Amino acid sequence: MPQTTLEVKSLTKAIHGKKIVDDVSFGVQKGEIFGLLGPNGAGKTTIIRMIVSLINRTQGEVIVNGSSLDGQYKEMMSEIGAIVENPEFYKYMSGYKNLLHYARMSVKKIPRERIDEVARLVKLEGAMNQKVKTYSLGMRQRLGVAQALLHSPSLLILDEPTNGLDPQGIRELRDYLRQLADGGVSVLVSSHLLSEMQLMCDRFAIIEKGKLIHISSMKESLAEEDLMNVAFEVSDAKAAAEVIESSRPGTEMEILDDTHFTIRIEREGINLVNRLLIQNDMDVYGIGRVAATLEDRFLEITSRSEEGKKIDLINL
Amino acid sequence: MISLICNELMKIFQKKSSWIYMIIIVLAVAASAIIYQKVTPDDKNWKENLTAENAGLKQDLENQNGKTKELTETQIKQNEMYIKDDINPNAVTNWTYMNTVLTGVLALVTLLSVIVSSASVSAEFSDGTIKQLLIRPHPRWAVLLSKYIALLIYYVLLLAVLIAAGFIMGTLLFGYGDFGAKIFDLGLNGVKETTVGAQFFLKILYYIPGLIVITAIAFMLSTLFKSQALAVGIGIFVLFLSSTLGGLIVMLADKYAWAKYILFPHLDLTIYAVQDKILGNITLPISLGVLLVYYLIFMAITFVFFQKRDISI
Repeated sequence: MPQTTLEVKSLTKAIHGKKIVDDVSFGVQKGEIFGLLGPNGAGKTTIIRMIVSLINRTQGEVIVNGSSLDGQYKEMMSEIGAIVENPEFYKYMSGYKNLLHYARMSVKKIPRERIDEVARLVKLEGAMNQKVKTYSLGMRQRLGVAQALLHSPSLLILDEPTNGLDPQGIRELRDYLRQLADGGVSVLVSSHLLSEMQLMCDRFAIIEKGKLIHISSMKESLAEEDLMNVAFEVSDAKAAAEVIESSRPGTEMEILDDTHFTIRIEREGINLVNRLLIQNDMDVYGIGRVAATLEDRFLEITSRSEEGKKIDLINL
Repeated sequence: MISLICNELMKIFQKKSSWIYMIIIVLAVAASAIIYQKVTPDDKNWKENLTAENAGLKQDLENQNGKTKELTETQIKQNEMYIKDDINPNAVTNWTYMNTVLTGVLALVTLLSVIVSSASVSAEFSDGTIKQLLIRPHPRWAVLLSKYIALLIYYVLLLAVLIAAGFIMGTLLFGYGDFGAKIFDLGLNGVKETTVGAQFFLKILYYIPGLIVITAIAFMLSTLFKSQALAVGIGIFVLFLSSTLGGLIVMLADKYAWAKYILFPHLDLTIYAVQDKILGNITLPISLGVLLVYYLIFMAITFVFFQKRDISI
């Protein structure tokens, strides 16, 4: 059985009776990069801030390596390294003094060598004696990673880590995280950018309006991508849809207008449907694949939940 | 805890402004000493002058009544004591300078302490560093307490800079005088006979409780507001309000007994260095008690609020 580093159980936050985070539960395994995905304002940041105790929980439990936020605060917080939104530093102090500041706050003693080691890891060793106000955004981000790693935490939490980073910086960050995860550190990241999550995470949860509506691994969700949306242009879309329904009941279809419809099928199915339509004396003028990305899956899942339909929680 | 305090001290002293404030104090002390040197008359005929002054004051008495008359009478009494004991009131030494002028510069220490205190927590909010500060394995109250202790150390330092600069400037300009020289300090209820050095340190001692309570207000504001500018602005406003309201409350206290327990008249205890009672019947222990109650309330608000608040910036 894989070891669970972070366990979040029915986390809830209500402000003035309104639930902005509603009964969210999930777990992050050792060495796994787990993403929280959702549009802005969905509650990702609130969830993360409840985990790191910046925001009080209305309900729920957070457990890191067996230590609960209730009662074992010190033990739990020593296991966490985090960057909450843009990493902010004391700009009037040098990078080294900033790291020293956080090193002094660690429960286990952090020697000077460890600070140097972390600075080397994020390639800032040459800039440690400069004041942080002279740093570029990318350097600050790297210093952020450094302060989060100083005390060798078993869980790294990053809230919107790529905000304001250039593509080069994003790539570097991604490589760091993968390197860390391979070394046994668990990572929890939040983002509203799917493409980023796709590249970064092993598993992800989709948060919408404070609720967790879907958890799946990247592999599973991409496997589902074998089914694709295909658009047909025919003489009579409605009649065509009936023909397909009678031959392949249960196929997902959507009639766009009199002559267009889309259908969700596997690759081989395109040919079969085309043949079926021609055999039934339908004129086919065009067939095209609608590019299916994770983005579509995401929108599909979130909009389906809006209609109140039941979503199967895969892997929960 | 020690490492947390070290952190807070490091943050204070890495800021340029913390050093600039000390320089401001030194400059203000130097300016006060130079001005004092310029305005003090160098008179050898001080006995004749005092006698003449008393004669004038006695004439004034005839047209005066009530409080003004009392004041003039104490003034005359003070002058007579100087003549009788053969003490030149205008003889200036470093100690008389510190007792009469430097104690006035104390207000600057209060002002600067208020500025630093109200920025203490609110700056962490404005800069966003509070998020990184509070995700550490230390309870929030410990982080807040470390900030407060570091501030106390900084106040002591400002005060020490003031006294040292005052002593040095005073000695340079007026020469080293007798610490135990006899003086008469004028209060509302008469004249107090004491020695100059003791009187100076008594005033410093009585100044400290007020400083602690005013900065506690500033520290509280600092945790209540997320904007550094707002916290500092309101902190200074409260400081000025306290000196303005002081006089009003004296009048109010004549009518209503409860007004004697309003905070503001008790903030400046240095008045007890020259008189035993304020507001009619309030003595030093009562004032200290009032200050203590307010202090505990401010601290309770500060710590309870900070412990519970959601950090959502």
